[in-house]
Amino acid sequence: MESNKKYWKGLEELQNSTQFVENNKGEFSEKLPIEEVLNEAGLSTVAPRRDFLKALGFGLGAVTLAACNPAPVTKSIPYLVKPEEIVPGIPNFYSSTFKGQSVLVKTREGRPIKIEGNPNCIITKGRLSAQGQASVLDLYDVSKLKGPAYNGNTTTWPQLDQYVKGELNKVQAGGKKIRIVSSTINSPSTKRVIADFVAKYPNSKHVQVDAVSYTGIIKANENSFGVAALPRYRFDKADLIVSFDADFLGTWISPVEYNRQYVSNRNNTSLKNKKMSRHIQFESGMSMTGTNADTRIQLKPSEQGIALMNLYNALGGTLAGSKKLTNANAEKSIMLVAKELAAAKGKGLVVCGSNDVSVQILVNAINSLIGSYGSTIDVANASYQYAGNDAEFVEFINEMKRGEVDAVFFLNSNPAYDYVNAKEFSDALAKVKLRVSFADRQDETASLCQVVAPAHHYLESWSDANPLEGYYTIGQPTINPVNDTRYAEEGLLIWSDNAVKDYYQYIQNNWSANILSQSGSTWKELLQKGSVYLGEKPAAASAFSRDLNAVAQTIVNQSNALVKGGDNAVELSVYENVAVGDGKFANNPWLQELPDPVSKVTWDNYAAIAPKFAEKLGIAELDMVEVKTDKYSVTLPVLLQPGQAIGTVSIALGYGRTKAGKAAAEVGKNAYPFLNFVNGTFQTHTAASISKVAGTYELAQTQTHHTIEGRNIIRETTLKDYLKDPHAGTGKGHGANKYDLWDKYEQPGHNWVMAIDLNACTGCGACIVACNAENNIPVVGRDEVRRRREMHWIRIDRYYTFNEGGEKITEENEIKDLENMDNVSVIHQPMMCQHCEHAPCETVCPVIATMHSSDGLNHMAYNRCIGTRYCANNCPYKVRRFNWFNYWNDSRFDNYMNNEFTQLVLNPDVSVRSRGVMEKCSMCIQRIQSGKLQAKLEKRPMKDGDVKTACQQTCPTNAIIFGDGNDPESEVSKALQSERTYYVLEEINTMPGVGYQTKVRNTVEA
Amino acid sequence: MSSHHESILREPLVTGANITYAKVTEDILVPVENKPNRAWWIGFTIAALGALLWVVSVSYTFWFGIGTWGLNKTVGWAWDITGFVWWVGIGHAGTLISAVLLLFRQNWRNSINRSAEAMTIFAVICAATYIVAHMGRPWMAYWALPLPNQFGSLWVNFNSPLVWDVFAISTYFSVSLVFWYTGLLPDIATIRDRATGFRRRIYSILSFGWNGSVKTWQRFEVVSLILAGVSTPLVLSVHTIVSMDFATSVIPGWHTTIFPPYFVAGAIFSGFAMVQTLLLIARKVLGFENYITMFHIESMNKIIILTGSIVGVAYLTELFIAWYSGAEYEQYAFLNRVSGPYWWAYWAMMTCNVISPQLFWFKKIRTSVAASWILSIVVNIGMWFERFVIIVTSLHRDYLPSSWVMFYPSVIDVCVFIGSIGVFFTLFLLFLRVLPAIAMAEVKLLLKSSSDQSKQRLIREDSVPKEYAEFYKESLTKYDSVSEEKEYAKI
Repeated sequence: MESNKKYWKGLEELQNSTQFVENNKGEFSEKLPIEEVLNEAGLSTVAPRRDFLKALGFGLGAVTLAACNPAPVTKSIPYLVKPEEIVPGIPNFYSSTFKGQSVLVKTREGRPIKIEGNPNCIITKGRLSAQGQASVLDLYDVSKLKGPAYNGNTTTWPQLDQYVKGELNKVQAGGKKIRIVSSTINSPSTKRVIADFVAKYPNSKHVQVDAVSYTGIIKANENSFGVAALPRYRFDKADLIVSFDADFLGTWISPVEYNRQYVSNRNNTSLKNKKMSRHIQFESGMSMTGTNADTRIQLKPSEQGIALMNLYNALGGTLAGSKKLTNANAEKSIMLVAKELAAAKGKGLVVCGSNDVSVQILVNAINSLIGSYGSTIDVANASYQYAGNDAEFVEFINEMKRGEVDAVFFLNSNPAYDYVNAKEFSDALAKVKLRVSFADRQDETASLCQVVAPAHHYLESWSDANPLEGYYTIGQPTINPVNDTRYAEEGLLIWSDNAVKDYYQYIQNNWSANILSQSGSTWKELLQKGSVYLGEKPAAASAFSRDLNAVAQTIVNQSNALVKGGDNAVELSVYENVAVGDGKFANNPWLQELPDPVSKVTWDNYAAIAPKFAEKLGIAELDMVEVKTDKYSVTLPVLLQPGQAIGTVSIALGYGRTKAGKAAAEVGKNAYPFLNFVNGTFQTHTAASISKVAGTYELAQTQTHHTIEGRNIIRETTLKDYLKDPHAGTGKGHGANKYDLWDKYEQPGHNWVMAIDLNACTGCGACIVACNAENNIPVVGRDEVRRRREMHWIRIDRYYTFNEGGEKITEENEIKDLENMDNVSVIHQPMMCQHCEHAPCETVCPVIATMHSSDGLNHMAYNRCIGTRYCANNCPYKVRRFNWFNYWNDSRFDNYMNNEFTQLVLNPDVSVRSRGVMEKCSMCIQRIQSGKLQAKLEKRPMKDGDVKTACQQTCPTNAIIFGDGNDPESEVSKALQSERTYYVLEEINTMPGVGYQTKVRNTVEA
Repeated sequence: MSSHHESILREPLVTGANITYAKVTEDILVPVENKPNRAWWIGFTIAALGALLWVVSVSYTFWFGIGTWGLNKTVGWAWDITGFVWWVGIGHAGTLISAVLLLFRQNWRNSINRSAEAMTIFAVICAATYIVAHMGRPWMAYWALPLPNQFGSLWVNFNSPLVWDVFAISTYFSVSLVFWYTGLLPDIATIRDRATGFRRRIYSILSFGWNGSVKTWQRFEVVSLILAGVSTPLVLSVHTIVSMDFATSVIPGWHTTIFPPYFVAGAIFSGFAMVQTLLLIARKVLGFENYITMFHIESMNKIIILTGSIVGVAYLTELFIAWYSGAEYEQYAFLNRVSGPYWWAYWAMMTCNVISPQLFWFKKIRTSVAASWILSIVVNIGMWFERFVIIVTSLHRDYLPSSWVMFYPSVIDVCVFIGSIGVFFTLFLLFLRVLPAIAMAEVKLLLKSSSDQSKQRLIREDSVPKEYAEFYKESLTKYDSVSEEKEYAKI
């Protein structure tokens, strides 16, 4: 439609007066006074100059003020020439080797950020321990030396080489001895380098000593079978495992491997086949292995040998000197165990944690009696994970004392910290002219050496290992050396004038000559695969034929030595704990904050004693006590440990480092001086006295209530009941109807869920550290853990149940009245965000910072969170963690995140949270996203196993299974269909996305 | 309503002889028109130091983070929300007195409503500071408001009781403020008329041009009634919604339907206690004995017994329902309250809130100024413990025993709380200095009908039956402490 309307601006236009027409000719109807302003008079008036100055003043001021706001400095440097293999945002994986286990190192833009097990590894099958997970953080440890040092001052490598070579020549000329002291070396190339060195300097000798020694087993095997090595234990082939103080799931020899083997006979698959191994543990302290035992019996260290003798006799042996055990329960149990072992002929396995040769010979005899050799113990395929020789080391100290040694090299060894008598060692060392340490920091021993030639971190170096007979692993560098460090081997090569001085070349030569030639693979294939296995040798049934009477006599004598009179007398055993281990990792904040699997203590060691024993001594929890032997004493806080044998005390090794770095400073007390050099080995048991001293000390525990109070959050059954009804213990079958106020979420694509098998979880805590590394979880330190503010997204709840007269006692007020607290059973329950369908946290957030996704996840939008903490209050599982402080930028939390260098370990795929926001398990959403992306790029639907959460990936026992619940064929769907499945707190209808499978105990009614 | 004479049987609402309109004005404006006395300066100094402590401790919290408080992974709220609910509760008496009692034509409210409303406003300010201070990122506090924004379609979560809280508290604050200010208009005009110079200009602006015409008074009455009607539901709604922060959650000890009435009763209970605490002192120091009489004190004490008993019944009902429900977690939560590690807090609450107010059944006690004041403090302590018990003892031991912890307050927790009391008293003492603490205009309404002197005049004129007059005299001598003092008229 055409419009004829005309709009007029004013009456003048309508009337179209002449004046209007005149005015309208120009652009502006009125004359603008431009000329007046611009004419000379206008410009020369006073006002414009002053106005100009005002404007100038204001303008300058405003610009200055605006410029005061500092523009953030972005420290990202793009590649000038981009390396071909690096695509920003896409991780590269390299195979490497950690403690002989083949691992994969995830690197982002050239920096290693996470370690995972290599699925090709025959030891770990792709899984990894907490320490392995944490080892990446050590690369970024700021306490390490920046370069070589001479007498505490920095020096250069050529100067250092010149000095060392000069000194070595003098020593050689003087005919004095040269010693290379190291912890166990199973690297074929390093061994060869040392051999070359010894060839050049014939006065030298290689002494291996481990902080926590296995010499007893090695010597016993040499004695019994002529094989001076650790055997390969096969827990997967054992139907009945009897362990005397061996913490084989926690720390003993090869825990990741043993965890996997052990659980393969106890997990869902095994139970489906109506099969489950039985595990009996005799021990004094409560070890992680003890917490998993079907039957656990307290046994004092002094009675360990006697108990083994009784067992041997009950199995048909005739040893003189055996006597009844003071613990009637243990005495009875030994007889029952003997019957069970006899019944399980060829399927039994007896292990013992003692480092005493005599005890281990007796254990060999028992294993031989029950036919373990060739089935559950394999001597032919020996393990080289530990090869230390205690007696040789003691002899080395004597040599130094006698002034026979003029040069010593410490490689991965720190006797000034972990030798029994540090004073004796340092006095003796002072007599040595040339003292060289390859330590990466000025540790206790390195600070006694003139020369410190810091070696690379394993992630910076080529390395190899031969942990098992016929199994070789290779490690490749994943980053250029961060500091001015050098291979220890390269030093030895240079000082011994070797023809090949480049260690990489040396390794390659060694492999092609000796290993690759046997396996027929190429160097490139090796690097891709990470390891070579030349195949298992046929297991031979080793015959044991030795007279045991002398052995028995030694055992009886040593047992008597452990018993001391007096009111305060205790039998002390020192042990390696799961997190910090032998102390090499003491400066690793992830491990220091990893709660002990049993006591849940972080950042300290303590004296563990039984509650009833403490009552007798008049000691309360967290009181300070002095534990004293004739050589040494420490003052430590007391932890009341249910299940600890009465009359014993346990103290963890690995603490009390003085020169390891900031994180390890003032953490616990050194317990190594309590080791006892008897019968040619360092033994962990000794007679001591305990007395209360003034003061209390609060241990930083992540869990302070230890029983389930009769709640059905833990559901368990016995194997007998399970075989009758697989639903046993789940509380199912009541046919309760579910009513719902809420609409069901549509989950058209995926439904990410998880299944956790309580019968597979052994509580090792590898998942916690893996989660730390994957999700940039802050370390808060001891004080904040005391305030119950640890940030772990996944925790392992540990509950004690006391059994009295067939009743399960879990309520606080009933436990108080218990006469006997020895019958304790333990369970570990991994707990993380349950990703509830009806999440109580989601409805209460005022700003919708946490909400449900269409694929079953409970999301957390950090940027939207205003920090009311209502969600955490309303979470029935208490898995939400609040950023109380700005952990990444607060000098009071100088653990790792606050340091610019250590920040390089952070996973760039996960945002670092600021203070004041809530965080929690995201089911590794970054991994889900990258899995989706990968599938999309490959133009295929996602398949089961594309995405593994960090906890699942590292779990040595596959206790955690994650996947798509919408896919009926997925591993997780199948696991959740198990009759054993239950959901924690399902009665409040939160509809969790994490299902648990009941704990099954293979108990036998006595 | 003021034109008729009140029954002689009723106790007088204004005592004293020779009270005229002018004397009312003179008496009440003493603190406003004169230099503060020593008592005020001492009180103000202490209160201002408290307020300074609040500024320091809240700034410290803002600088370093909520970690400076004693909270932990399990107990996410403690002294903060305890303080918040405590202050909101205290704020309740004001609206109840000004609105509900106005609707019920309870004329005795006229002498106390002004201070009670001022107290409400200051208490709600203190509560609001806690809401902001307890946030992890207080600079994002405005995200809790449904403001149009450029973050995409981000909006608040209308399912969340915290959002309801935001609406409830802000509505309550604004309505209370308007109601209070409307009531102040005639009084401000009075001050204006008596003032000179700069003060006059200020009060002139503040009086919104009140001219005292009949029309103005009529509108004033109407607006007061309308506002009373608007605020009455708020008396019930605010604390109902605050209680829903807990009632709609899943935590045993929080998840209970009894909370709304129980919280409202508790709020009125603590509000009246706080009014007593403040007015018993103000009455003495400022010489308001003629206007805030023993009848007022006694009436408020009666409300305290009533609401205290309601709260007591609620406590017992909770215990009964926990037992009767058979719900394991619920039972444990209450067993833990009564006998767990925080048993002392529970029994402090029980003693202060349920047992001690019962002393007011004795007329001797409820007509004793000293006893009333001490018990009002006891009730306030008890009500703080009630919130602490509900919040901390429910959270510290909830579903999974692995997460059970203890809560210990930090120094900063304590400082923020003490500081908030300082802020409150600073505001209140400033209020006493610049605005009349008693609604003069409303008290004047009572002068003709229900003051002692008017009743005395009726007796003198012999216009009341003899026995009534006797009854009146007897009741005055027997119970009203003020009547003993010589300046009050006696026959």
